Amino acid sequence: MSPRQLALLLIAPGLALVAGLFLYPLCFSLVSAFTGPEGGFSLQAFGKAFELYSGDVVFTIVIVVTSCALTAVAAVAIAGTLTLGENPWVVGALRALYRWPLFIPFIVAAQCMRTFLAKNGLMNNTFVSLGLLEPLQAASYLDWRGIIITFVWKQTPFVALLLAGALASLDRATLEAGRNLGASRLRVLIELALPQVMPTLLVALVLSFVTMLSVLSVPMMVAGSQPTMLTVDMAFRINAYGDYATANALGVITYLISAGAAILYLRHGMAKEGAP
Amino acid sequence: MRILTITCSVAALLSASPLAAQTLNVASAGDQNMVDYVKDYLGPMFEKSHPGVKVVSVGTGPGDAGSQKIFEKLDAQKGAATTDFDVVVIHQKAAGTMVKQGLLAKYTDKVDTAKLVSSETAKNSLGADVSGYVIPMFQSQTALAYNADMLKNPPDNFAELKEWVKKNPKQFGYNGIKGGMSGVAFVAGWIYAFGGDAGKLIQGPYDPAEKAKWDAAFSELKDFNKNIVITPGNAGTLDMLNRGEIAMGPVWVDMFYSWQADGKLPPNMKLKLASPGMPGQPMYYAVPEKAAQPKLAEEFIALATSPQVQADGIVKKFNWYPGIDAKNLEGKLDKTAWDKLFTDITPADLSKNAKPFPIAPYFNDILEGYEKKVAN
Repeated sequence: MSPRQLALLLIAPGLALVAGLFLYPLCFSLVSAFTGPEGGFSLQAFGKAFELYSGDVVFTIVIVVTSCALTAVAAVAIAGTLTLGENPWVVGALRALYRWPLFIPFIVAAQCMRTFLAKNGLMNNTFVSLGLLEPLQAASYLDWRGIIITFVWKQTPFVALLLAGALASLDRATLEAGRNLGASRLRVLIELALPQVMPTLLVALVLSFVTMLSVLSVPMMVAGSQPTMLTVDMAFRINAYGDYATANALGVITYLISAGAAILYLRHGMAKEGAP
Repeated sequence: MRILTITCSVAALLSASPLAAQTLNVASAGDQNMVDYVKDYLGPMFEKSHPGVKVVSVGTGPGDAGSQKIFEKLDAQKGAATTDFDVVVIHQKAAGTMVKQGLLAKYTDKVDTAKLVSSETAKNSLGADVSGYVIPMFQSQTALAYNADMLKNPPDNFAELKEWVKKNPKQFGYNGIKGGMSGVAFVAGWIYAFGGDAGKLIQGPYDPAEKAKWDAAFSELKDFNKNIVITPGNAGTLDMLNRGEIAMGPVWVDMFYSWQADGKLPPNMKLKLASPGMPGQPMYYAVPEKAAQPKLAEEFIALATSPQVQADGIVKKFNWYPGIDAKNLEGKLDKTAWDKLFTDITPADLSKNAKPFPIAPYFNDILEGYEKKVAN
C-alpha cells in the first residue's frame, strides 16, 4: 500500500463522519429549503421566511453583532488587566474569577438571568437595598438587553482566555519600552499590544459570533417572543406547523450570516499560519 | 482472559434478551412532570402488578414539539417490524395526524376503562376522528390568573379585559405564541371572543374564507399588546405574577395549583375563566400500530385510566382534571382534594367557558395570522 493510500485510509473515518453528520444534513436542508410543497424548485419557503421573519433576521444580526462588540471590549479589559496589571491582588482575583462562566451551560445561564435581571429580580433588589435605585425606577431587563447581557457574560471568558494567552506570549520588551518612554498602560495596551494579537481576537470573536447565532435557550427563556432570534423561529416553524421548508430556509439565511463570519476566520487563518 | 470476558458478555446478553422482551417503553410528550409521573408513580405500580416487567419512561419535550418528535420516530419506523415505543402520551394536534397516517392502533375496545370516558375530545381531536385510538390521560385548562390584592373585580369577559388593560398598562402579561401554549390559548380565546363564530372554529368544517374575518380582531390584539408585557414562557408568566411584576396573565390551571402548592405562588393568587372562554386540551394515551408489546401496553393504559389512579395520580398529585368521566371518581377522593380543583373555577364555569382548541387548519391559520398581523 502506498503512503498516499494509507493516508486516505487513515482519514476515511473522519471524512465519513463529516459527510454523514454534517454534509448530508446540510445538503438535505438546502434541498428542502428550495423545494415547494408539490416538489420541484421553489422560492416559496424564502418568501414566507422574509414575509414573517425579516424583522427577526435584523434583530438576530443586531443582537449578535452588539454582543460581539461588547464581548470584545470586556475581554480586552480583562486580558489587558491580567497582562499589564500592576496590582497583584486585582490580577490574582480576576484570574481566579473570570473563567467561571465558561463552565456554565447556556441554558443554566439563561435560567439564572431570568431571576437576576427581572424587574423585581436579584439585581434590582440589590440596587434598591443599597439605596442606588428607587423601587419605582426598577425596570425589567428580560428583553433584548437580557439576551445581550447573557451572551456577553457567557462569551467574555472564552475570548479573554484566548486573548490573555496571546498577550502573555508577546515580547515584553516592546511593552516595557513603551512604558519607559512614558506611555500610559492603556495606551500600551491599545497601541502596542492589541495590534499584535488582533488575529487571535478576531478568531475568538468569529467563533463567539457563530456560537451565539446558534443558541436557542437564551432567547427562548430570557426574552419574550416578539421580536425574537432565528433559532426560536426555526423551532416554532417545526413544532407548531411541522413546516420544515421554511425552517430550512431560515437555516440557510443563518448559514449566510455565519458565512460572513467564516470568511473573516478563513482569511486570518490563512494569513497567519498557525493561528487557531 | 479476553476471550473469557467476551464469552461472558455474549452469554449475559443472550440471557438478558428474554428479559428485554418484557420491557414496556412509554414515551411522553409534555413537561418533565409527565415523564416523572410514569417513572416514579405509574411505572413502579405497574411493575408490582406485573412481575418481570420493566417500565422505561422517555420524555420527548414540552408542547407540541414533544408530540412532533414521537410522530417523527414512529413515521421513520413505519417499515420496521416493531417500533421502539409501546405506549405514547401525545397532544391533540399530533394525535389526529398519527391516526390519519396509520401510525396508531385501534385499541380502546380492549381496555375496559375506555367505557368510563365520555368527553368529546376522546372522539374528536381538533377536527380529526380519533375514536378508538386514544384515551385521555387528563384534561387541562387555561385560565386567567390574577393577584386578588391588586385586583378585586377581575374582568368577566375579554371586552372588559381589553378596557382593564387600557387603564392598567403593563399589568397584564402573556407569552405570545412561541413561548408556550398558555399564550396560544389566550390568542385562541381572543379570536373566539372577537373573530366571529367560535363554534365554527371548534367544530369545522374548515372554510379558508373564515380567516378574513379575523383582521379586526388581530389589529385590536396588536393595540392590546402595546399595553402588556410579553413574558418568557408559561413559567415566565407565573414568575412575573409571583414577583408582583404583573397583576394578571393566562396560565395552565394545573401548573398554577402545583406552583401554589409548592409555595412558588402567593396564596392571594386566584383564577378566572373569562367568557367566552379559553381552550384546554387533553393529553392522550395511545398505542403505536407496531408496538412490540401491545398486550402489556393495553394493561398499562387500563391501570393508568382506572378511577383510583386518576383520583390519586391525576387529580391529587398534579391538579389536572381527570381524563375519564369525573363521576367515576366519587368516593375515591377526599372532598378537600376535589374542592381545591373547583374553588376558583366552578364546574358551571367549566361547562360554559372551557373550550377546546380550534380544529387543526383554523389553529394553524390563527397562529400564522398572529405572526403576520400582530407580531410583525
